[in-house]
Parts: sequence; structure tokens; C-alpha cells
Amino acid sequence: MDPECSQLLPALCAVLADPRQPMADDTCLEKLLDWFKTITEAGSSLLLLQENPCLVELLCHMLKPQDLSSRVLSFSLRLTGVFAAQEDCFQYLQQGELLPRLFGEAGPLGGAAWTAPTVRSGWIQGLRSLARHPSALHFLADCGAVDTIFSLQGDSSLFVASAAGQLLVHILGLSMQGPADGPPSLQAGDWPACAKKIVGHIEESLRSTATPQITQALNVLTTTFGHCHDPWTRVLWVRLSPLVAGLLEKDPVPAAHSLVDLLLSVARSPGLSSSSCGLWETLAQTLSRLSPTQAGPLALGILKLQDCPQALRAQAFAVLLQPLACVLKATAQAPGASGVLDGTVGDFATVDTLLPSKAACVGLLCRTLAHLELLLPLPQRPCPWPQAPLLGAAVTLLQLCQGSASPTSDTGHHLCALLLGCVRVQRAALDFLGTLSQGTGPPELVTEVFAVLLEYLRSPDSSPTVLKKAFQATFRWLLSSPKTPGCWDLDPQALLFLRELLPVLQKRLCSPCWEVRDSGLEFLTQMTGRWGGQAGFRHALLASEVPKLTEQLLRDPESYVRASAVAATGQLSSQGLCISPASPEHPGGQQKSPLSELLHILSTDSEGFPRRAAMHVFTQWLRDSHADVVGDTEEFVAGVLQVASQDLDWEVRAQGLELALVFLEQTLGQPGSPCPYAVTPPVVAPACPLAQALQPLCRVRLFEFAFRALFDCDRPVAQKSCDLLLFLRAKMASSSSPQEARSSPDVASVEAALQRWQAGDQAQPLGDLEPEVVLAVLKSMDLEGLRGALAESSDHVEKSPQSLLQDMLATVGILGENEADCY
Amino acid sequence: MPEIRVTPLGAGQDVGRSCILVSIAGKNVMLDCGMHMGFNDDRRFPDFSYITRNGRLTDFLDCVIISHFHLDHCGALPYFSEMVGYDGPIYMTHPTQAICPILLEDYRKIAVDKKGEANFFTSQMIKDCMKKVVAVHLHQTVQVDDELEIKAYYAGHVLGAAMFQIKVGSESVVYTGDYNMTPDRHLGAAWIDKCRPNLLITESTYATTIRDSKRCRERDFLKKVHEAVERGGKVLIPVFALGRAQELCILLETFWERMNLKAPIYFSTGLTEKANHYYKLFITWTNQKIRKTFVQRNMFEFKHIKAFDRAFADNPGPMVVFATPGMLHAGQSLQIFRKWAGNEKNMVIMPGYCVQGTVGHKILSGQRKLEMEGRQVLEVKMQVEYMSFSAHADAKGIMQLVGQAEPESVLLVHGEAKKMEFLKQKIEQEFRVNCYMPANGETVTLPTSPSIPVGISLGLLKREMAQGLLPDAKKPRLLHGTLIMKDSNFRLVSSEQALKELGLVEHQLRFTCRVHLHDPRKEQETAMRVYSHLKSMLKDHCVQHLPDGSVTVESILIQAAAHSEDPGTKVLLVSWTYQDEELGSYLTSLLKKGLPQAPS
Repeated sequence: MDPECSQLLPALCAVLADPRQPMADDTCLEKLLDWFKTITEAGSSLLLLQENPCLVELLCHMLKPQDLSSRVLSFSLRLTGVFAAQEDCFQYLQQGELLPRLFGEAGPLGGAAWTAPTVRSGWIQGLRSLARHPSALHFLADCGAVDTIFSLQGDSSLFVASAAGQLLVHILGLSMQGPADGPPSLQAGDWPACAKKIVGHIEESLRSTATPQITQALNVLTTTFGHCHDPWTRVLWVRLSPLVAGLLEKDPVPAAHSLVDLLLSVARSPGLSSSSCGLWETLAQTLSRLSPTQAGPLALGILKLQDCPQALRAQAFAVLLQPLACVLKATAQAPGASGVLDGTVGDFATVDTLLPSKAACVGLLCRTLAHLELLLPLPQRPCPWPQAPLLGAAVTLLQLCQGSASPTSDTGHHLCALLLGCVRVQRAALDFLGTLSQGTGPPELVTEVFAVLLEYLRSPDSSPTVLKKAFQATFRWLLSSPKTPGCWDLDPQALLFLRELLPVLQKRLCSPCWEVRDSGLEFLTQMTGRWGGQAGFRHALLASEVPKLTEQLLRDPESYVRASAVAATGQLSSQGLCISPASPEHPGGQQKSPLSELLHILSTDSEGFPRRAAMHVFTQWLRDSHADVVGDTEEFVAGVLQVASQDLDWEVRAQGLELALVFLEQTLGQPGSPCPYAVTPPVVAPACPLAQALQPLCRVRLFEFAFRALFDCDRPVAQKSCDLLLFLRAKMASSSSPQEARSSPDVASVEAALQRWQAGDQAQPLGDLEPEVVLAVLKSMDLEGLRGALAESSDHVEKSPQSLLQDMLATVGILGENEADCY
Repeated sequence: MPEIRVTPLGAGQDVGRSCILVSIAGKNVMLDCGMHMGFNDDRRFPDFSYITRNGRLTDFLDCVIISHFHLDHCGALPYFSEMVGYDGPIYMTHPTQAICPILLEDYRKIAVDKKGEANFFTSQMIKDCMKKVVAVHLHQTVQVDDELEIKAYYAGHVLGAAMFQIKVGSESVVYTGDYNMTPDRHLGAAWIDKCRPNLLITESTYATTIRDSKRCRERDFLKKVHEAVERGGKVLIPVFALGRAQELCILLETFWERMNLKAPIYFSTGLTEKANHYYKLFITWTNQKIRKTFVQRNMFEFKHIKAFDRAFADNPGPMVVFATPGMLHAGQSLQIFRKWAGNEKNMVIMPGYCVQGTVGHKILSGQRKLEMEGRQVLEVKMQVEYMSFSAHADAKGIMQLVGQAEPESVLLVHGEAKKMEFLKQKIEQEFRVNCYMPANGETVTLPTSPSIPVGISLGLLKREMAQGLLPDAKKPRLLHGTLIMKDSNFRLVSSEQALKELGLVEHQLRFTCRVHLHDPRKEQETAMRVYSHLKSMLKDHCVQHLPDGSVTVESILIQAAAHSEDPGTKVLLVSWTYQDEELGSYLTSLLKKGLPQAPS
């Protein structure tokens, strides 16, 4: 602890101990505790207490009967725990009887303060910190803390109850670390006292008829097996597994979710899953005992396991697929034609039992789809994967929701009535359908997929979120459509689909909902990026109104849409798909060029998103040597930088520096393009001296922008500029340029101007800079020092412990004025 | 037992990040999703892992409702929807939907700018999150699904702030968010109808305060600004882009106009343009005065307030500058503060709350020597003023709202424990309802007695009407019928209709009883005696003696038979239908008393 803080600490402790001085800001105590944790992790707590007796005095003060703030009391309990985590400090605090008085019956535990959840939470967290060494275990046993923790597992506060469970797991683990001679036997006789007590409590809870108690026990075990894989956990499982299995005998099975969590936690534990503790049998039994909703997560968990018996996997997969199989069966045109896992749909799995009411049906279907979506990309997914039936199920579900399915059976009609217009199932099914695009399917099914997607994209009833997902799924299916390996062109079927899709997209771009227009533009950008170079796509796109609409959306009232339109225009223009005067497809076009359109947006748009999007496009164009840029790169860069440097949005200025860096690299030559797929720009080889190579940079006034940005009030801009200039300086060093203008008057005036800028007076411009002057100024600047200063966050001073202590002390007495204010 | 459960994850006995979970009739709703500006780590967001241990959030939560655009109510939303993974619907009013992303973006930029935080939501995430929003109109009933519906009410506080009623069947909860019961310069007062919810969840920021008139505070503010400008000083007002800034702008604009002042007023970022645009766009959400004068002059088209350029800070002479952010913790407001702090003629007015760890907090707590980067010390000579313009209901206002809504119970959030305790007692005493104040993580469970709607068939109603008097709304009336439960609906129909609908055949149920009579005469004579006796006793009923010797009274049939063992005793077999149960019982008891002596 630095001396300044040491000096402030006694006063602060006095304030904390004074109940008349409430703490206004509840974050202060948290931050104070963070600070103490940092100190004690780095050094001796005992020394800290000895050097700062005010701390022990504060803790002792908590024992006096008074009207203490529960927050301060909670803080003190936690602080005590932090100190007592070190054994010597624990002994020190024990000598003064401080620990039993704070954590035992005589402390807050027995008083009125205990009614505050924050105090109970502080008590638990204090013990959690303290329980690090054998002495702590004795202490816990002596002061009866473990019994209190048992009861806190059922606390009215979720936070307290959860922390109590965690603490039990921690204490169990700590006490089992003690015995050095191998894992204990099954008999409780040779278990350490604390562990014996906890395990006894767990056993009692598992035998209980009260579900909350069973849940608590199961949760403790789940965390234990999840975090600790020591040999003793195996003994524990062998001992408890009969009791756990006994829960399956009850009807209904109590605490099913927690039971599933526990069984999966055990199955994932390396030491336990391979053993013959009857785990696989228990899992199989659980799968068959639980309801489909409860069994779903268990089935998914089993299928995610690396090694597990094939029969169990098959059973789990059948459970997972049941609801979809049921849907297919109910909607099948001919009996027995469902095709999906006929074996898994037993007689019991009728729509009425599996999908009884709307809420249950929607919930189960959404969960099933989400589970399968998670499973699909995993290497351990079941093989063979029933791709075609699942595709069929997803399409059927989407049709049922849309009302376009034509079920023939009563159950099919019943399902249709349940699912019609259900947005939740639509969203889940579209997500799942998109994920299924990773595999293939029979052509007629793929046609159905495209048909149902088109139906959704067309439907006036589709909500904006559903439409967004439909666009995403469509893009994924288009991506997966190539038939020729290695060829990314759209196949004829996809092109046919595209011709139907573009009028729909066109309509969506005119939607009154900004969300829909935006999703449409994002979709267009993705598609153009992928197939912009393909003749079929180009033809279809140019034959539509989409490019024209995109151009119009640059003036959309919603800034998000304008930004997406900018990105789409950038992409279209890169592929030569913009309607511009130069476009051969539209010889009579009267529009402005995309470059001038985007420049206009950069300089006039009132909002940051479109301006940032424009900068992003410009940088990409420069990288890709876009036709409009290559014509006169210097003019382009100069124009963009001039506008970007004036921008109020720091992210636009930062992107201006990014563009400057690209230009710099292209001008000076950057060996090896950072992106292996990038088109290599026509690099000017630095055959000429560096000063000469810098001429174009000077002409575009890159340095004035960069130097000004060095002192920008927004840190990332300054950092970026610093990086750019350091890159240039490294170039300077490697080129060993002979020209220098160290003592010229120009250099002195630039340096003076920079000093004024640093002081905050940025009015004076630098004027035209000569490369030699730039080089000399660069050489003399302490850029490394500046970078170091910028690396620290700008609030590091306000965040310092000293600042925290000062703030806490300064608040004393003035609370009356500003108290209880907020936003 | 049906119940409503409420668990605050934030705003339970504190004024931090609001986030309240409500379970009502099997539906789970999250009210607000705020962040705490005082933390820079995970603690700034509510701990969403407590929402459910089992499964995905999207499956568990039916919807999220955001009451207004302040970050302590919506700041964690992009984190929750795009990083934690909630993919369900989010409801808020139209102005909140429009303004929320501006503030989130503003905050994101400051977090990234100041701290270079990498693990923070991005602009794209904010946009994707806002795309999940379903915007609602005031007083519009929105069906979240077949059972859950929500409705927004005007809350004052800030533009677009709303209270929400959440209703499932006959059970309902009202969540106020932050509200203001007194109109201010640009917004009206909160209002709700007498919706009698099972539970009212109300904020209680000023639980024990009776706030002085806002006029006084405004006068004070103008006086201070005027004095500073008169003496040639510069006035800095750090604000967040939206909300209070607009209120103060209107205040200064009208004052400047009235006093014919010439000193320039600037607003520091381009955000104001957009902010003012929204105030114009959502004019219906402002107060009556602004709406009325809108035709002549739009209050938000400021004549005196101009856009600020960084170079203006060095201009000589007085000026007033509104600069963001509001706590002097980064960016332009901090930069201007540094420039002007050394001059005692200048003034900084903090119009709102500042968290610890900001320069705003330091100067408000009276610190005048601030250490800046590189061990530089900035001496603050400028005048520092604090003026609270936060627009919350005070104790009186809260009581007024409880009176308006007439809830069955009240639950306090967004306040300090001690003050809540006081208000809780007051509410319980005055309104005779239970009042709760759970801490974060604590669950309050309220049992409810649900009323189940039952449809009555027209035929049954007509029959009832034909039988009795006209219905009186104030008097309950007993109605007999058959309750049919079909497709989760209840209907009361006549038994005939029920039989018809369900395809059932009617069964007759008759109660029978044997009564022993000492009578040595023949059965026919005994029956005759019974007939005579009943005829005389039951004058209002139709008593018949049938040719087969049996006697009937309405549906009751009485037959006399000889006792198999005792010829001196006759057995009367009495049977009746359930409709005449009362009469049947009476008759039996009458016969058990014996027959009157026959005249010899």
C-alpha cells in the first residue's frame, strides 16, 4: 500500500464505522474490497493489518451493538474473509477472538442485521474467502457455520442460496484435500469431519420428500463433480448413486432439471464416466422416465459426450427427435410415410400426448429445434444424420405456422391450429433450417426449402425478426447450393430461385419498417459480395430495380438503413453493379457516381453510422484498387481525409487514419499484404528516396491530419495516429534516408505548433509541409512515450485507489445535498 | 395455488441497474434491462445466470419490456440479446425505440474510447438488438401471445417513458418504471386508469421526499447562469445527449428570448440535432403546452442555441455550452472543463447524478485539486454548482399513483432500503394493502385467486330471463346449468344442450326410502290413508291417487306393500328425483311420524 493511501485509511475507517455517515455510492465499497483483494494477493495480510491497525479497529467496531449499515457490515465480513485467507493472518485474527465473534452465533448471525440479505451474503462470501487452509476447516466446524450454511441453501434470496451451495462445495473440496493417503473408503468413518457432515446432509436431503431439499443436494453435487475430478469424487458418486437412482422410482421424478444436470456433470467427469457405477443404466432409465421437455436437455447432453454406449446414444437421439417425428407423422399425406425415425415414434407418441396444448407444443418444438441446431455442427453428432427427414420436418413446421400446409388427418389439423402464426416456432425453425444448409438434401426437398423461404419472404404476415431470419437462412441455402466441388457459382436451380427472389427483395426494400429495409440491404450486400462477379447473378440483379432502390435508400430517414445502403452501394460499386453514368448497362443514367454520393454522405450526414460506413467502404475501395479510386488516388485520399479529419465522431476520424495507413502502405510499399486473398494493389516500389516517396502523402495533407489526431481528445484516435507515425518512423530507420532538415526554421515552427496543439490550442494550421520537415519532426517526437501514456485508460487516475479513498472521504457530510439522485 | 412471483436482479432496494423478473400465470417477463454506470466490469450488468438454471433464456422468457431509454433501464439490453443470447421479443414505446440506440451508442463509444474495452457490445449488436424490438403505442393492448398481453401508460419522466400493465387472464401486474406525477417544461404527468392490478411495482427514488416546486429550481438555475454570463464567465453544463439536455435548452432559450441576452449558447455534439428531431417527431408525447404552441412555433427549434465547434472553447467572452458526457468522465465535456476550470469567473453546472470514479463526482464532493494524467494537478477555481433536475415522483406522487391504480398489493423498487421502509408503512396504513420491498435476488410470492371466465349459452340466459326478474348488476344471481370444458374453454349450458353436444343419453336418478307404518289394513287402504293425509297436509302440491293404488306428489311416488314378516306392518316405498329432493325429504319425515288415526 502506498503511503498516500495509508495516510487516508484511518479517516476512511472512522467514516465506515460511523453509522451516521452513510455511503452514497454503493459501488465504492465494492471497489474498496477489490483493492484490498489486490493488495492481499500481492503481499502479506498480516503485515497489512499490523501496519494499519485502523483496519482491525474497524472490524472490532462491527461487534458493538449499534445501528450499523448493513452494507458496511457485509463489507466488513467480506473484508475479514479476505484477510483471513492467509493462515498467519487467520491466526492473528483468531487470537483476538474476532473471527468467532464475527462469524459465530454472537455476531450478526444472531442479530437483527441478519434479516438483510446483503449481510447474509457478506457472511457467506467472507467464509468463502477465509476457507483456504486446514485451520479454517476447524474453525468452521467449531463455530457451527456448516449448519448455518445448510439452512442458507434455502434462503429467500437467490444470491444467498446459490452462494451457500457454492460454499458447501468449496468446503467439501477443501476438507477432502486433507487426507493424503489416497481416496477414502465408502464408509463414512474415515472421512474428515466436515466432509462427513456435508455428505451426511446431502444423503439426508436426497432421502427427503421435499423437492427443494433434493434440488439443493443435487445442485451441490453437480457443482462438485463439475469442478473437481479428484479420486475421492468417484468414491462419493459410488456412495450416493443408489440414492440418486432412487429418485427415479418416485412419481413424478422430483427436481428433474437438477437431476439431469447432475447426471450430465457426472457423465462428463473423466474419472466417473468410464467407471462401472451403473451410470449408463441410470441415464437410460432417466431418459425413459422423464417427460419429453425434461428429457430433451439430457438427450442433448448424452449425444455431446465423447464416449458413451451406442444404444444409449440411439435412445437419446430418439428422444430428441420424437416431437419432430410426431409432427411429420401427424402431417404425413399417406400413413407410414413420415420417413423420420419410424422406429422412434412409438404408439405413445401421439400429438395429443406429446404436444397437448399450444404452450406445451410451442415450448417443446422450440427447444427441440434449438437442441438439434446445437448438435448439428458437432463432430460427435449421430451418424447417419437424418438430414432429409429433418429438412422435411423443418419445412413442414414452417408451412404449418404459415397455414400453407394441407394436413389430411385430424391431428394434422389440430397441429395446424396450434401453430398457425406462431412467431416463436417460425424463428426457431428458420434458424434450424439455416443450420441444416450445412448438409445436402434430395433435390425435391431443396426445392421445397427454397419455396418455403420464398413464401416467408413474400408473406405480408412475416414479422421483421422472422424476415431477418428468412433472409439469413436463404443466404445460407444459396451458399450451399453449388453442385460442382470447388465452384462457387450459383447452380441453375438457385439462379431460377434468384429470379423469383429479387422482386421480393425489391418489395422488402420499400417496406415501411426500417428493420426490414435494413435486413434486405444486409442480405443484398452479402449476396453481392459472394456472387457479384457471376454473370447469372449480375444479369438478374441488373434486370431488377434493386440497384436503383439501394441508391434511393442512401437517403432513407433511418440512419441504420442509410449505413446499410452505403455498405451495399460500396459492394455493388466494387462489382460494377451500380447504376452510374459510366455503367454500360444503364447508358442513360443521370445519377451521381457512387463515390460522390458517398462523399456527400460523409460530409453531410447528421449521424455517425452512415459516415462510418462510408469510411469503411472508402478504405476497402482503396485496398481493392476500385476503378473510381485508381483514376486519381491522391485526389480521392485528400478529399476523404479532409472531410474525415473534421468529423465530430471519433470513430470516423479513426477510420480516416486507417485509410491513411492503407495509403501510406501502398505509397511506401508494405512487404506482404496482410490479407492473402486481397487483390494486390499497384504498389509504388520505394526505389526513390524516402523523402521523395513522402511527397504524395504531403500532397494529400496526411501529416497535418495525423499530427492533429495525436492530440485528439478521443484516445483511440490518438493511439491510431501514434501507430501510424511509428510505422512511418520505422520505415525511415530502414531506408536510412540522408536528407534531414534538423535545424530548419520550418521544423521549429511545426514543433512549436505541435506543442500548442498538445496544450489544447488547435486553431493554427500547419500549412504545406515538406517531406524533410516531416521526417525531422518525426525523429524528434517522443512517440513511444506518447504511446505509453495513451495505453493507460483515460480514467486511470480517477480509478486509482487513492482517488477512491479521496472520493469516499470527500462525500462525507455532503450527502444531504445530493442524496438519492439518479438519472 | 396460482401465484405471482417477483424477483429483482437489479433495483431491489437500490438505485442501480433495473432488472425485475415477474412470473404471472405461467408467463415470465423481464422488466427493464439496465446497467450500472459505476462499474467497469461484469458487475455493471445484472447477473442473468439467475434467470433460469434450466435451458435457454429465449425459451424461458416470454418477453422483455423496457420502460424508458435511460441506461440504468436499458443499458444491458444489447449485451443480453446479442452476447448472452436472448432471442425473443423486446417491447418498448416508439420514442424509446428511436432514442435508445443513440444513448447505447453514446455509451459504447465512451466505454471503448476511455478504456479501450474489447469485450463490449458493438454498433452492429446495438442495431441487431433494436431489430428485435416491437414498438408499442400508448394505451394499445398488445398480445405477446394468446394469453399474455401488455399495455403502456404515460409515465412523464423522459420522452417515451411508459408504465406497463402485464396481464394474463384476470391476473395483472403494473410496472411503473420511472415516472413523474407533476408536469415539467416539456413533459406531462404520469397517468394510469383504475386498472386494479394484483400488484403494482413502483419506483421509489424519492420515497421520503416531498420535492420543492420545480419552478424554484429552474429559477435558481437561470439566476446562476445569468450571473456567470453577466460577469463575463463561461458556463459549462455537462449533459447526456437526450433528456435533461432538452429541458434545459428550452429553459435557457425562453430566458434568453425574454431577457434579450446576447451571449452565445452552444450544444456540443451532432447528437442534439437528432435529439431535437425526435422531440419534434414525438410531439404527442410532450406536454399540452408544447403541443398547443407547436403550430405557431416548435419549442425545439432553438433560435439561440447553436452547434459547438471545438475551436469555440477558446473564444473570448461569455458563453454557455452544453457538452456530453454528463459526468465529465471523457470526451468533449472533460476537455472543455480542463480549459475553463482555472478561471473563477467560469462555472460548471452539474444537472444530474455522477458515479464515483468520474471528475463530475469529484468536483461535486468538493474536491478542488484534481490529479490528472502524468501527475499534473488541475486546480478547479471555477464555480461548481449542482442542480437536480431528475424527474421522479416524490412521496406524494407515489401515493397518488397507488390511489389511482388501486392495486391489491404494492412492491417497491428503485430506491433506498431505509426510505422504502418508511413509504411501505405509509402505503400499508393508508391503502390497507400489503407492500413489499425485496432486495436484489429475493423473491416475493403473492398468491392470487384467479377468476376463470365462463361463457353462458344464450338459450340458458333466455330461459333464466323468462323465469325471473331482470338482471341486476349489483346483485349476484344463482344460475343452474351444466359446465362444459372443451378446448380449454368453459361454457355453462342447459343440461339438455350439454347432452346434445356431448352425445349423451339422459339417466334418471331416483332416491328411494322405506317407511314402516303400523297398519293392519290392506295395502290399498293404507295407500288411501296416505293419500288423504298428504292431500290435507300439502295443499299447494299436486297429490294424486293413481289407479294402480300408488300415490304421487309431483315426482314423488309412494307405494304401499305388506311386510313380509309382520302382517300388522305396512312398508311405504317412497322414491323421488333429485329435482324434488327437498320435498322428498320432507315427505319422508312426515310419513315417518305416522298417519293420523282413522275415524273408526
